[in-house]
Amino acid sequence: MALYLAETPGIPPAETVDGSVETRTPRRAVSSYLLIAPAVVWMTLFLVIPMAMIVYVSFWTQTTFKIEPILTLDSWETFFSSGTYVNSLWTTLRIWLIVLTATFVFGYPTALFVGLFVKNKTLQTTLLVLCVIPFWTSFLIRVLAWRPMLGKEGAINILLLKAGIVHQPIEALLFTDLSVVIGMTQIYVVFMVGPIAFMLGRIDPNILEAARDLGANFWQILRKIIFPLSLPGVVVGAMFVSVMVLGEFATSAALSGRKVNLLGNIIVTQVGSLKWALASVVGVILTIIMGLVIAGLLRIVDLKQEL
Amino acid sequence: MSEEPVLRLDGLTKRFGNRVALSGVTFSVERSEYVGLFGPSGAGKTTLLRAIAGFDVPDAGRIYLAGRDITHKPAHERGIGFVFQNFALFPHLSVMDNVAFGLRNGIKRMPEPEVRSHALEVIELVGLKGLEDRGIGQISGGQKQRVALARTLVIRPRLVLLDEPLGALDANLRLRMRAELRRIREQLQIPFLHVTGNETEALAMGDRLIVLDQGRIGQLGTPEEVYNRPASANVARFLNRYNVFDGVLQNGSFASAYGHFPYGMRVAGQKPAYAIRYDRVIAKEKDAVSHGPVVRANYIASEYLGAAIVHFFQTNDLKVVEVEHHLSNGPPETFAEGCTYDLTWKPDDGIVFG
Repeated sequence: MALYLAETPGIPPAETVDGSVETRTPRRAVSSYLLIAPAVVWMTLFLVIPMAMIVYVSFWTQTTFKIEPILTLDSWETFFSSGTYVNSLWTTLRIWLIVLTATFVFGYPTALFVGLFVKNKTLQTTLLVLCVIPFWTSFLIRVLAWRPMLGKEGAINILLLKAGIVHQPIEALLFTDLSVVIGMTQIYVVFMVGPIAFMLGRIDPNILEAARDLGANFWQILRKIIFPLSLPGVVVGAMFVSVMVLGEFATSAALSGRKVNLLGNIIVTQVGSLKWALASVVGVILTIIMGLVIAGLLRIVDLKQEL
Repeated sequence: MSEEPVLRLDGLTKRFGNRVALSGVTFSVERSEYVGLFGPSGAGKTTLLRAIAGFDVPDAGRIYLAGRDITHKPAHERGIGFVFQNFALFPHLSVMDNVAFGLRNGIKRMPEPEVRSHALEVIELVGLKGLEDRGIGQISGGQKQRVALARTLVIRPRLVLLDEPLGALDANLRLRMRAELRRIREQLQIPFLHVTGNETEALAMGDRLIVLDQGRIGQLGTPEEVYNRPASANVARFLNRYNVFDGVLQNGSFASAYGHFPYGMRVAGQKPAYAIRYDRVIAKEKDAVSHGPVVRANYIASEYLGAAIVHFFQTNDLKVVEVEHHLSNGPPETFAEGCTYDLTWKPDDGIVFG
């Protein structure tokens, strides 16, 4: 109370003693608005206005070297009438689903091992840090390092040939959907492992022992206890991976030899040739997809309650 | 009579590094028996219970369930119930689904309609009828305790292990649950092995009491036997009802730092000590005692317990001696703080170890 009084000289102290209960609520509301104000200003300036701008620009009239604020549906029609663009929409969704599944398939067992089977806290942290270390190298180097691994004369093919498993080098490894999926999974799997391992680490070991004591075997415990309790982690991990994969362009450009065109790649190309209107159309579509994906994931669990 | 006991432990031993947690623990639990397992913290109670349940593997010794060796059988195949101190309920499941878990996932799985009726029956037995659709976050501590019990009982275990089951409850609830536990056990006729670090609970609960002392069995007997004739000075200490004095045994007499103590009973074969129950000690004016054991001590304070009052005295070498006076034996005496009194007792009440 003393602080409030000192900072609000307009109110005589005698009144606030009696009226403190009534005056407190509105004034606390004012101070909490003040707390959130910087964030609101920041988000409005750099998120809300730019997004509104992109939506607006997607309806502008584009000529070869000029863009004018005359409203038209031309750019939207161009996008949906072009096989290349619509295909890139499906490719983006396909790659996203495959990478999301792959990060889950590889990430969940890893998280299970780190979060539940490793009892030593120090070792647990060490293993999690090991998962993150590849992330510290530059994105470009990490992506490009896959080329000598997956190429026709790359490490994997050499090993397979030497071992006599194949007689012809496998060409499908590089510059295909597969190489893009491998590259993205390797980069983003850590975002799946982290949140899941965190949720698993919070499970009381007694709960698992209780389930065992009641006669449940490992698979039953995994399905009925461990997985449901780790679901918020899976959802958070899926959100991270989804947002990053849907907006991807660098991995696909470097590892597909420009054969795999994601929505992100289209934006890069269009912006490069100053086609702002079409780039905005793709941007709006991408944002809508991300919004739908996040909304869908949030329906699976109530994160507010779980975290 | 020749029937196999439900549980038989034979020389159970467990080490954690250099520390011996259990050493040659041997006892058995008969059908339909309430056994209390009592000892101070670190005595190995929980270690013993976890070995029986199958969560930890003993380093040596055997565990037999109804005559069958289960020492290396995995926990989920043992059919032994375990009630955790923190209840360890499944937080994402309702009361009903918690109780039904063992029926739906056990080795002998039950068809779904039967699961519900079985679970409801046990939910009613523990007095939770009407709460079956509640979430675990929506019930009280006492109710959680009942869910934990119901979840274990529903699988019809051959033995129920309870690890300090009342430790997380407040005193009032603890008393009610004690009666409840006994009622439920008698109704089901399943043996209970109840671990507790609380001496009052231990004496109140068991048909039989096992006292653990540093990983070994310190005493095994009825609560009355343990209370009246502790088998060692340590057991007497754990009971928190005895003043225990150190000393030496010379020519059939116990010599303490306060003089010679005559005694009524001797328990042979250990480090010498002398024990006298709190409620057997009488405080008299200085120099009023002409014969029998005497300890001279200063009065410090009293503690009112309702039906009794405990007076604390302190000797010159700072040993605290407790004197308990039951108020049914008349109003309590008043002592002057800091004044010296002579504490004495009937020689027959003294127990000598050694």
